[in-house]
Amino acid sequence: MTTFLVTIGIGLSTAAILSLSAVAFTLEYAVSRVANFAHGEFLTIGAYVAYSGQAIFHQNVAAAAVIAAAAGAAAGMALNFGLIEQFRGRSAITVFIATLGVALIVENVLVIIYGAANVTYSFGQGKLHHIGPFLWTTSDIEVIISALAVAGLIYLLLQRTRFGKAVRAISQDRALAQVSGIPARRIIMQTWALAGAVAGFAGFVLADTFGTFGPTLGFSFLLLTITATVAGGLGRPYATLGGALIVGLAIQIAGTYTSSAYQLVFAFLLLVLLMLFRPNGVFVRRSTVAVRA
Amino acid sequence: MYWVSVVTEAGIFAILALGLDVIWGWSGDFDLAFYGYLALGSYLTFVLTIGKPKPPVEYILGYHLPVVLAIVLAMVVVVGLAAIIGAIALRNLRDIYFAVTTLGAVSALYLLVENYTPLFDGYNGVYGLINPGQTALNLTYNGYRIAFLVVVLVLLFLAYLLVQRLSRSPFGRMLRSVREDERASAAYGRRVFGAKYRAYLFGAALAGLTGGLFAIFISAFNPSAWTPQELLVIYAAILVGGRGNPRGVILGVFVVYIGFIELTRYLPSPASRPDFGPAMRQILIGLMIILMLRFRPEGLFRERPGLDRYPIENGAPIPASQRPAAPPGLRSEERGTSERATREGGASKAGRRRAGKTERAGG
Amino acid sequence: MSTALLEIEDLTKSFGGVHAVRNCTFSVPEGQVTGLIGPNGAGKSTVVDLVSGFGRPDSGRVTFAGEPIIGKRPDVISRLGLIRTFQTPREWRHLTVMDNVLLARRRFADESLWRSITRARRIRRAEEAERAAVRDILDRFQLAGLKNELAVRLSGGQKRLLEFARMAAAEARLIILDEPMGGVNPVLGARIGEAVRQFAAEGRTVVVVEHNLPFIEKTCHQVVVMDLGEVIAQGPFSGLRDTPRVVDAYLGMDQSHE
Repeated sequence: MTTFLVTIGIGLSTAAILSLSAVAFTLEYAVSRVANFAHGEFLTIGAYVAYSGQAIFHQNVAAAAVIAAAAGAAAGMALNFGLIEQFRGRSAITVFIATLGVALIVENVLVIIYGAANVTYSFGQGKLHHIGPFLWTTSDIEVIISALAVAGLIYLLLQRTRFGKAVRAISQDRALAQVSGIPARRIIMQTWALAGAVAGFAGFVLADTFGTFGPTLGFSFLLLTITATVAGGLGRPYATLGGALIVGLAIQIAGTYTSSAYQLVFAFLLLVLLMLFRPNGVFVRRSTVAVRA
Repeated sequence: MYWVSVVTEAGIFAILALGLDVIWGWSGDFDLAFYGYLALGSYLTFVLTIGKPKPPVEYILGYHLPVVLAIVLAMVVVVGLAAIIGAIALRNLRDIYFAVTTLGAVSALYLLVENYTPLFDGYNGVYGLINPGQTALNLTYNGYRIAFLVVVLVLLFLAYLLVQRLSRSPFGRMLRSVREDERASAAYGRRVFGAKYRAYLFGAALAGLTGGLFAIFISAFNPSAWTPQELLVIYAAILVGGRGNPRGVILGVFVVYIGFIELTRYLPSPASRPDFGPAMRQILIGLMIILMLRFRPEGLFRERPGLDRYPIENGAPIPASQRPAAPPGLRSEERGTSERATREGGASKAGRRRAGKTERAGG
Repeated sequence: MSTALLEIEDLTKSFGGVHAVRNCTFSVPEGQVTGLIGPNGAGKSTVVDLVSGFGRPDSGRVTFAGEPIIGKRPDVISRLGLIRTFQTPREWRHLTVMDNVLLARRRFADESLWRSITRARRIRRAEEAERAAVRDILDRFQLAGLKNELAVRLSGGQKRLLEFARMAAAEARLIILDEPMGGVNPVLGARIGEAVRQFAAEGRTVVVVEHNLPFIEKTCHQVVVMDLGEVIAQGPFSGLRDTPRVVDAYLGMDQSHE
């Protein structure tokens, strides 16, 4: 029983990171109707910028987190301006392929700057804590708390501010929102900044969990992100959190009973199953209409 | 000999691209599992020809079949895998959902191969198929490589003929109509899933074949070859050359591989950064994809639907006295109208260039 | 009295809480032109969708040439001989006009991948005969000069004509036209009316869903009127003018649409 709960404990911190990445991904989809395959690169950029920032901020985790988020925000805005806007009006799959191209470029630019080999953080993991039946390091706790904080922040933003209302309006119908006086382009840009910031932060946190990472960090996390997003439902931020929880827990549990190498296999099979049976999310009744992007 | 190698590789990828173009160009499905079919074809060709594994190396099967038979068997298994993935992904999913599902499936398989060593020796991959039949044919090493190049080019030519014929056939036309509008196609009696599925299996078969050729060519294969990054290069080539146009696709591959990749090989790599060259190439591939999609998505050579050129020969309308008897149902006044129309159609450069070459209207 | 080619009984379909179609019952006699009219939201297009397989009804029966076709896939129903148009012309945009009409000929056996390789020569010969027949049809609809044009480049009116050319090529038993006169000028409208009469003369059965009442009056042998998902009247057009329910349904609607 304890093993199972410990697993859930670890699963929660994975789910926390996953939820951050997934919420960001789903926000990008919500405002731009784009499945952003360069999303993983926001995470990688955040991780690497924090790595470079170690030279200045040393062990200051908070500072590292902040610059990771800032870098992510910049990347998000750059992508929106340089690519998404350029491909306005084109089919979703075309933009998707274009973002694949961007992912290829960004990953290799990072290879040129930092080299293809892994780099290591020097932030400590902290002591282990027993909290009830769960076993967490200080890092794990920080991750979970910050994830909850960010999730809460996003909730407040989306529900309580004019900005959030505008985002929700745009995600339903951009043309209608514009006609109602919402400055769509500006709001979209801000959303991408927000999504990028969350993703950059998530990237830093993810890298910190592993300790060492390479240029493929974000891309390998991307499929998991997509799985969580699909589980929750594309474009639905709150459901996505639930989806991330389900996916994070599922793979952790699977990982304890098989070897951890096969965790991801399980995750990807889960993705395929979701696509087949619940493409609109686990929380929605199964649609009888075929899914076309 | 370097160029023999380069052209051989380009030729193999050209066959691969022809297969992928059927799935993407004609049928409109962005498949991210495609490279997995090549990889599986390669792996199987190895384990069917290099005999039993010597520990600590391990892999399944391990026979000493003649390489041609091995490749054929590999193709069959690859089509079997594609049958499963296609049945899952093609039935109701399209576009991004389809792409992501195929990516999920192939990633799962990739991880399985990488970690379950009894299959194909995990991280190490398989190797050891060195110039099969070289001694039997009494060739030197270089002689074999040149002969292999010839074989690849012949296969490419045959593949091209087959694909070009299919492209202009009712099947090709039907497949494109499904791509253009599935509802309308269904309204006219087409089985949308059946059509796409057949195209998918056909493409996968070609991928399996290329896998076998690749096995002979590089004599080793490991899991890193399953990644979508490699596949993007092929997609870039199809984008550049022309989606849906077999000639364009082949040209695109040669332009991207020979013109592009080989020329960038000469990019200086600073000693401190050995990854610079390969990384730069990938960056340029990514740029190429984005630029082509943005500015010329149809590619250098547009997809050209078969033009109706009746009655035309050598670019000029046939004088009435020498024209073959009109098929039944075409009254003489209407023949006049059609003639005028085809003269206009045939006056286009495309018509005149191709007239007299492959097809001729009329019995 | 001709037999009913298409029989619809108690067809019902709701979307969410809204009854789009409710206990809809009527039959379509063979070899004649039947109109299906009614104000917006009456459920006409939904009926067409359900009958042609683009949607599953909640309940009811549909029989085509004696065979029940409820729940069958659109391509299956199409192969039985029922072809329909859509409210906006749906041509295969990046294929030529010639290809568009050739595809309507529906030579399914020749589209097999296997046969394309093994029986290539025979297929090519059959193709020549098909092309000749299609050139005939294109001439009939004055599209011959455009045969090598990509369908996407056609004007709206030409796209409508292309639709009819495809219909003519399909040689279907039952043709359902979903608002063929939408946005059509009088000259084109006359040609369309001509085409519909030609279909009937060939012995085909036609169902026309339309708002353009003069067109319906000129081409249809009988008319089915729907309102709010139900059939409220059936019969020759002349009789409907005096039916109170029909007049009510159309109250406030301009009766001539040009």
